[in-house]
Amino acid sequence: MSTTTAPQTAVAAAPGQRWLHLVAIWAFLIAAPLWMGHIGGYDALYSRILIFGLAAMGLNLLLGFTGMMSFGHAAYFGLGAYGAGFVLRYWIHSTPLAILCGILLGTVFGVIFGALMMRRTGIYFAMLTIAFSQICYYFAYSWNSVTGGYDGLRGFTRAPLHFGSYVIDIRDNGLVFYYFVLAIFFVCTALMGALLRSPLGRTMIALRENPQRARFLGIPNEQHVWIAFAISTLFTSVAGALYALLNNFADPTALYYVISGNIVIMAVLGGMLNFWGPLLGAAVFVWLEDYISSQTVNWMSFIGVIFVVVVLFFPRGLLGFVKRRSA
Amino acid sequence: MSLLQIRGVSKAFGSLIAVNNVTLDIEPGELRAVIGPNGAGKTTFFNLITGFFPPTSGQILLDGKDITRATAVERIRMGMARTFQITQIFPELTTRENIQIAAETAMGFRLRTWLSRAERAAVSSRIEETLVAARLTEQADRLVGELSHGDQRSAEIAMALALKPRILLLDEPTAGMGEQETFQVAGLIRRLHKHTGYTIMLVEHDMRVVFNLADRIVVLTEGTMLAEGTPREIADNPAVQAAYLGTAE
Amino acid sequence: MLTLILFNLTNGIILGLFYVLMALGVSLILNLSNVINFAHGNFLALGGYFAFSLAPYLGYWGAFIVAPILIGVLGLIVEQTMIKRVYARPHVYSLLLTFGLSFIIQDMCRTIWGVNGLPLSIPNALNSPLSNQFFFLTGYRIFLVAVVIVAVAALFAFLGFTRVGTRIRAGTFDLDTVSALGINIGLLRALNFALGIGLAGLAGVLAGGQIGLNPNMGDNLVLPSFIAIIVGGIGSLTGTLVGGLVIGVASALTSVWWSAGSNVVMYILMVVILVARPRGIMGEEGMMT
Ligand SMILES: Nc1ncnc2c1ncn2[C@@H]1O[C@H](COP(=O)(O)OP(=O)(O)O)[C@@H](O)[C@H]1O
Ligand SMILES: [Mg+2]
Repeated sequence: MSTTTAPQTAVAAAPGQRWLHLVAIWAFLIAAPLWMGHIGGYDALYSRILIFGLAAMGLNLLLGFTGMMSFGHAAYFGLGAYGAGFVLRYWIHSTPLAILCGILLGTVFGVIFGALMMRRTGIYFAMLTIAFSQICYYFAYSWNSVTGGYDGLRGFTRAPLHFGSYVIDIRDNGLVFYYFVLAIFFVCTALMGALLRSPLGRTMIALRENPQRARFLGIPNEQHVWIAFAISTLFTSVAGALYALLNNFADPTALYYVISGNIVIMAVLGGMLNFWGPLLGAAVFVWLEDYISSQTVNWMSFIGVIFVVVVLFFPRGLLGFVKRRSA
Repeated sequence: MSLLQIRGVSKAFGSLIAVNNVTLDIEPGELRAVIGPNGAGKTTFFNLITGFFPPTSGQILLDGKDITRATAVERIRMGMARTFQITQIFPELTTRENIQIAAETAMGFRLRTWLSRAERAAVSSRIEETLVAARLTEQADRLVGELSHGDQRSAEIAMALALKPRILLLDEPTAGMGEQETFQVAGLIRRLHKHTGYTIMLVEHDMRVVFNLADRIVVLTEGTMLAEGTPREIADNPAVQAAYLGTAE
Repeated sequence: MLTLILFNLTNGIILGLFYVLMALGVSLILNLSNVINFAHGNFLALGGYFAFSLAPYLGYWGAFIVAPILIGVLGLIVEQTMIKRVYARPHVYSLLLTFGLSFIIQDMCRTIWGVNGLPLSIPNALNSPLSNQFFFLTGYRIFLVAVVIVAVAALFAFLGFTRVGTRIRAGTFDLDTVSALGINIGLLRALNFALGIGLAGLAGVLAGGQIGLNPNMGDNLVLPSFIAIIVGGIGSLTGTLVGGLVIGVASALTSVWWSAGSNVVMYILMVVILVARPRGIMGEEGMMT
């Protein structure tokens, strides 16, 4: 995936600078809902941005850091959503369990599909990711009795969090829910950052940089692609589970390939060589989509134009010129 | 016993026989050069040894163990390391990170998400050791894609060294290099061989490099082994003079 | 029961032929340019709409001929202005580009021709059933089958026997060598792209007469055409042909017993093929890597 970029001359950010970046990012995320209402934001929008940001960052472990193209991550996003929905709708009114089951459902399929795809590379890998995501879509769509079919899984709400007798009301208070999502986002990004700074994470980057070299250092490409794929789907399914909680429903559009495309464009728009790029991309894309769809019936054209413009004129994304890693 | 035994190995691409029935033994500690004109099958020969693809026929043994059908990764685990004719590195990582990936893989940490303090220290010391051996300490924190050709080549060899291989296979390590850089890389190879005692197999184009470095030389033309012997013997061999030396220079 | 099976079999073959036309276009572009064309189904829809708008002036037969050609020309323009700029880049860019184009074209269709379905009227001669018992064998369906057979045969003849066609096939296997021979790859890819898109246009005209026109009419055909390519074997046009027919017939027959299963079965087929024979039915060894 490194072929678009001219050699990057910047040297790795100094550790001190990295902490500064982190503090700035987190300060912004914590403070955002408190003032962004003035420029047209609202609680559910912020949560949506974080959720898609997380999905795109999960995808980007594969796209930006392993150099493998998935155009089917909607599957794991959607499975995460349905997994969470199933728990709340059919089993138990517990938010943590809902999230866990969402992750489980998405990741199990990530592992299975990953195993079937891990030997392919390039455009053929991408093609299979699309096909597999479509399987999930059709199941969700057709299996009416369980998934609610076209209308989706409805009739559940996220449950407040109970810590002994102390209750955090994430159900009725959108702002509190935002901070709940932010907390999970924090855990996930911390894990992703740690992964990328670990030996396993470095093998992923090695695959992106030069798979042949990696293999002839003793890294079995297929196995590592598989693992990277599974990890990537794990984080995307966390996002999916949160998405079901945000909406209080899970429907087949969450699994549709349009979502896959959206997640990819977020990563590219923000800058896929940058750890935080996909979050920025998600913020810009989700906000624009929200705004445009409220302004014109031709919103699809505008979204399409965003894709085309990004590809033709900003292929490196908004953070493309900023240093590659500031995890 | 020979470290590497190659027995009647051939490789056909369709009707083209790129390597034709080559038999060869490499002894521990030896530096063996493979020379031959362009298209002679040298790279293909290396690809067969390192498991890039399987031979059409023949047998390859490492330490007496048959590895003819072993995958590339298995062979590397058994002690092979190679570089490529066109330098293969991780261009957007630093030299240190390039070597680190090799070291961590060789030390069995490639699937780990967490290393203990002791393990990290072991990795670091292997990296430093390798940087020193390849004389890349100064370039350690620069992106390897931005180094000079010679340094990139040294970095690629360093990655192979970080594997602590029992046999090192270098495919045209001085290909496309100027005087200065050829000198640098040849010096590195010589040090590795003479001082550290590495077993090295090397494909070369540059005659001076080969005649000064190698213990023994193999001449390959059109996939077949034309001659085998010490540099002196090869230089005096009339068939080699006719087929290779006379035409190449 | 027999009639039902025959009915579904006919449907399956018709559907399979649409998959084939679509998949051959997608496959041509994929093989030579390494681009997955997400917008292929939207070019199909455009083909139908073009025919609809041209028919009042040119008549059905005029529109039938002209619309696919115009779509091919449109494809050429799109390739020259946009697609060709991302050939040298990682695949993610071409995917995103065709994905964005698919949004734009779909929205254009919606804006110009409306959200509601439109009928593409076909000549009366093609409209009547040939027999009462086999009510599903209309003249139009026979016509459709014949057109697709002719188109596919023409395509294979073109690829097999003309100079440009031979070069396209050679480029599929080894682009570097073809380019080293001094052949203009850019031109070859442009022609090939136009050809693939033209096939989508033809499929659109045919589909319009069968199911009517709507802005999303191609959507249900794009993804199955990907499956057809995978099942048939990536890199092999013959494989794509076989793959398209196989999944078309398999899904139609499944719907005899399990109506919701018609889509699911092609995915199951794909998974089975991937596990049992990773290179697909006709794929070359190594093409799927
Ligand atoms: N993967 C391959 N497929 C087909 N032919 C190949 C392949 N690799 C090498 N060849 C052919 O084998 C012959 C030997 O090539 P090579 O081993 O690269 O030669 P050398 O390294 O001595 O220059 C050449 O004619 C080359 O074209
Ligand atoms: Mg060579």
